Amino acid sequence: MAVSVHLSSNLRGPTGGLAEVEAEGATVGALIDDLDQRYPGLGDALRAGVSVVIDGLLIAHPEYEPLADGAQVYFVPQTAGGS
Amino acid sequence: MTVTEPKPSYKYVGTRPVRHDGLEKVTGRARFAADLNMSGQLHGIVVRSPHAHARIVSIDTSEAEAMPGVKAVIIGDDFPAVEPGHRQYDMCINVIARDKVLYEGHAVAAVAASTRDQAQAAAAAVKVEYDVLPAVLTIDQALAPDAPVLHAHMMTAGANPPAEEPSNISNITRFSGGELDAGFAEADLVIEREFTTQPVHQGYIEPHACVADTGQDGHTTIWCSSQGHFNVRSSTATLLGWETTRIRVIPAEIGGGFGGKTTIYLEPLAVALSAKAGRPVKMVMTRDEVFRATGPAPGTKLRIKLGVQSDGNLVAGDAYLIYTNGAYAGPGGLLGAMTVFESYKIPNFEVEALDVVINTARSAAYRAPAAPLTAYALETMLDELAEELGIDAMDLRLKNAVAEGDPSTMGFPFARIGFVECLEAVRDHPHFTAPLGPNQGRGLAAGYWFNIGESSSATVNLNEDGTATVVTGSPDIGGSRASMALMAAEELGIDPHDIRPVVGDTEAVGFTDITEGSRATFATGMAVVEACRKMVVELRGRAAKMMGADIDDVDWVDGQAVYTGSDGDKDPLSMAAICAKAKRTGGPLTATGSLEAHGAGPGFAVHLCDVEVDQETGVVRVVRYTASQDAGTAIHPSYVEGQIQGGVAQGVGWALNEEYIYDSDGVMENPSFLDYRVPVASDLPMIDAIIVEVPNPAHPYGVRGVGETGIVPPIPAVANAIYDATGCRLRDLPMSPIRVLEAITANGGSNGS
Amino acid sequence: MSRVHVTCTINGDPAEFLCDGGQTLLDALRDEVGLTGAKEGCGTGDCGACSIVMDGRLLCSCLVLAPEAEGTTISTVEGMASGDDLHPLQQCFLEGAALQCGVCTPGFLVAAKALLDRNPDPTETEIRYGLAGNLCRCTGYDKIVRAVQAAAAAINES
Ligand code: FES
Ligand code: FES
Repeated sequence: MAVSVHLSSNLRGPTGGLAEVEAEGATVGALIDDLDQRYPGLGDALRAGVSVVIDGLLIAHPEYEPLADGAQVYFVPQTAGGS
Repeated sequence: MTVTEPKPSYKYVGTRPVRHDGLEKVTGRARFAADLNMSGQLHGIVVRSPHAHARIVSIDTSEAEAMPGVKAVIIGDDFPAVEPGHRQYDMCINVIARDKVLYEGHAVAAVAASTRDQAQAAAAAVKVEYDVLPAVLTIDQALAPDAPVLHAHMMTAGANPPAEEPSNISNITRFSGGELDAGFAEADLVIEREFTTQPVHQGYIEPHACVADTGQDGHTTIWCSSQGHFNVRSSTATLLGWETTRIRVIPAEIGGGFGGKTTIYLEPLAVALSAKAGRPVKMVMTRDEVFRATGPAPGTKLRIKLGVQSDGNLVAGDAYLIYTNGAYAGPGGLLGAMTVFESYKIPNFEVEALDVVINTARSAAYRAPAAPLTAYALETMLDELAEELGIDAMDLRLKNAVAEGDPSTMGFPFARIGFVECLEAVRDHPHFTAPLGPNQGRGLAAGYWFNIGESSSATVNLNEDGTATVVTGSPDIGGSRASMALMAAEELGIDPHDIRPVVGDTEAVGFTDITEGSRATFATGMAVVEACRKMVVELRGRAAKMMGADIDDVDWVDGQAVYTGSDGDKDPLSMAAICAKAKRTGGPLTATGSLEAHGAGPGFAVHLCDVEVDQETGVVRVVRYTASQDAGTAIHPSYVEGQIQGGVAQGVGWALNEEYIYDSDGVMENPSFLDYRVPVASDLPMIDAIIVEVPNPAHPYGVRGVGETGIVPPIPAVANAIYDATGCRLRDLPMSPIRVLEAITANGGSNGS
Repeated sequence: MSRVHVTCTINGDPAEFLCDGGQTLLDALRDEVGLTGAKEGCGTGDCGACSIVMDGRLLCSCLVLAPEAEGTTISTVEGMASGDDLHPLQQCFLEGAALQCGVCTPGFLVAAKALLDRNPDPTETEIRYGLAGNLCRCTGYDKIVRAVQAAAAAINES
């Protein structure tokens, strides 16, 4: 599955500042592995408490979330709440 | 109520039945944590540090142990050692200090005795020798080059280049989009402003309390009030080094939390004392302890620069945010960074946020953590821009408000959101154009909170008579039992009062995350709906058996199984009829729903506030208040309104009065409701709550969390109203009479603008 | 330390309890008598969660010493309903959703009843000042004030 990956700006160090990159994976976990191959160090950053938004849905623990071909995946910081 | 989109017509969702736990709560019978007593129970008291920062040289408990009635004394060394890097290191050493105390009120030991007086006397007899260290009490002190470092292991996360020396900065967050310099170059007007705010307390009326009963089998039962008893269980297990199965947590009624009861303070101490003494131990904090040792929300220093074009288009924003998180790493700055520019289309932006540690109590979440403060800064600056440009403050917001498809500052496009609808609801309210009296001013402000999902579980059990029990793992902190019952009623087609909503203990229902992030009605509601939908399938199957029909020919309509097949007429079967025959059709009727909820929809709110300012004394009175908020779908509108109104009151208190005051040694000077003044009934007017309903596409009923967003706009709404009344911009919280008066005087008397 | 024997009337019934000389009436009601409706939110007279009426006066029971209750007549939230019939204030709090967490509710009900006993037809401002000794952190007071207004109307109608 080829998907478009969008990184919130705090996650762009390993991509040299690129906000949007292409990568592959049938699940978000596989996608992260692939991203780590392409951009060493990105995997650690993405596994350390990051959520994704896919089709407008915020998913807090996305490792096994399946991905469709052409999906737009947004990595964002994990959130916490108050009441 | 403003309904913005056609929605399905519901029979029960959106109605206002009397809540199920109401009777117990108006008759004094409801059991809050401090109301529980066990036979043979001891009373536990915490020994707390009088110093804001000190090394513990030694602790001598021998005298205390020999005192009358004393059954157990514990200190930090009685718990398994924890090292930095441990997942819950901060929580562990916050609950009981090990080698160092980090704030005044930090627990260093605990005592259990037959009576509270005996325990108090023994606590006073615990001898702790301290090596007092210089305290770091402000952001400036924390960041000073020669500042004492609170944690020798604290290397700033997110630092670029990576940190080589420990410091008091736990974390740096950076977000950016577009080209900042180019953005400002396009601007016709640029302003830059600085703000300071002080820590405030959640101010729940019920102090923390628990009872723990540890048996000789090494298992313990904890009764406590918390926002999440599964979290109490796991945190307590971690701190004690116990297996989770040794701990059962039974939730008591909770007397307010607002985020402050998402963490633990007393429970592991009570368990350890109980294990040592072999008796149940009850611990109840005093209000003084609540103030000194629990919960404040961060204080901040904020600097924001905004650029706008003459037609009102925002083009650039630059934010530098510093949040104190008390003595341990916390998420204040991160959350500030994630919320500061989130409500408006600002194509070019940079945010840098620092989380710093100081020698005050460890911060805890407080409703929409961090967001009220960034809103204070941003929304008052928007008013300044509007005035400078000669654009109406409402129009400026409408012009720049984010809507579906617009990119969030995190990059993703927003799904369907209701910000514009909230703005319009206030614009169209009679309050918006009502005349003002002398010395009065009006302020408008908006707020945003992202809300969260997380894990929830629910079990639906049908009873022999056709009524239902719905068990969830979410403590009811403001009417959530009623909303669970309403959603179950809608699904099952029975009256909400034929449903008993129950908050199950850690052994009675599946794992459920803390009630935080406005997630109970959203996520636990989804679990309830899932369980009910499974139940309906089961009911159709049972009815099909009873009718001698195929399940596909049986529908569930209005609480009845209805035959839709072509094999003649068959009488519908009620829930009661099916339950009565359950033994013969397959046994008890029970279904569960457990899920990790995705797609918590962001919440927006828009507030309009009128104040009257006494020009002689600087006293500000809120005289009229209107608040709109997107609830997605209001399951029980009264409790949605209540969440909005409660948020307003807390926000007004934060704006005008509330602050932690420390002396130069870091000792809190106002640890009582007399000196830490929260709003009372005579401080506030009626609060007109407008529920906007832009359904959240991710929830079966369109619910968005409503618990938090309402506290975001009040501070800037009040500040903007004060400006309108006096011509003075107040950029430091609280906007207390003395500050307002100073500003009026500096401005050359009243209405000096 | 020998304990003090106190005889009084609580919610219409004769009551006796033993207490320590320095114990608050709030603690005695909760721990000795077993009436936990009154809550301790502060222990310093600042929150009203412990409100009771003693000999016709609304008091913070956390500020009264238990031995002072000797010979007095006390009413608490537990005595507000008569049998199954809720007091109109209780009914209006329920119907008007005037409670969220509910920990302040007993104090508000007792204080509101004392207010209506004194002033059966209070204005909104009188209600707000009449209840200014009670803190609620959940509701913003809006629905509490409305519930008291509704209860006053209901009582005056009957
Ligand atoms: S507990 Fe008595 S006034 Fe607060
Ligand atoms: S309802 Fe929670 S304090 Fe009033």
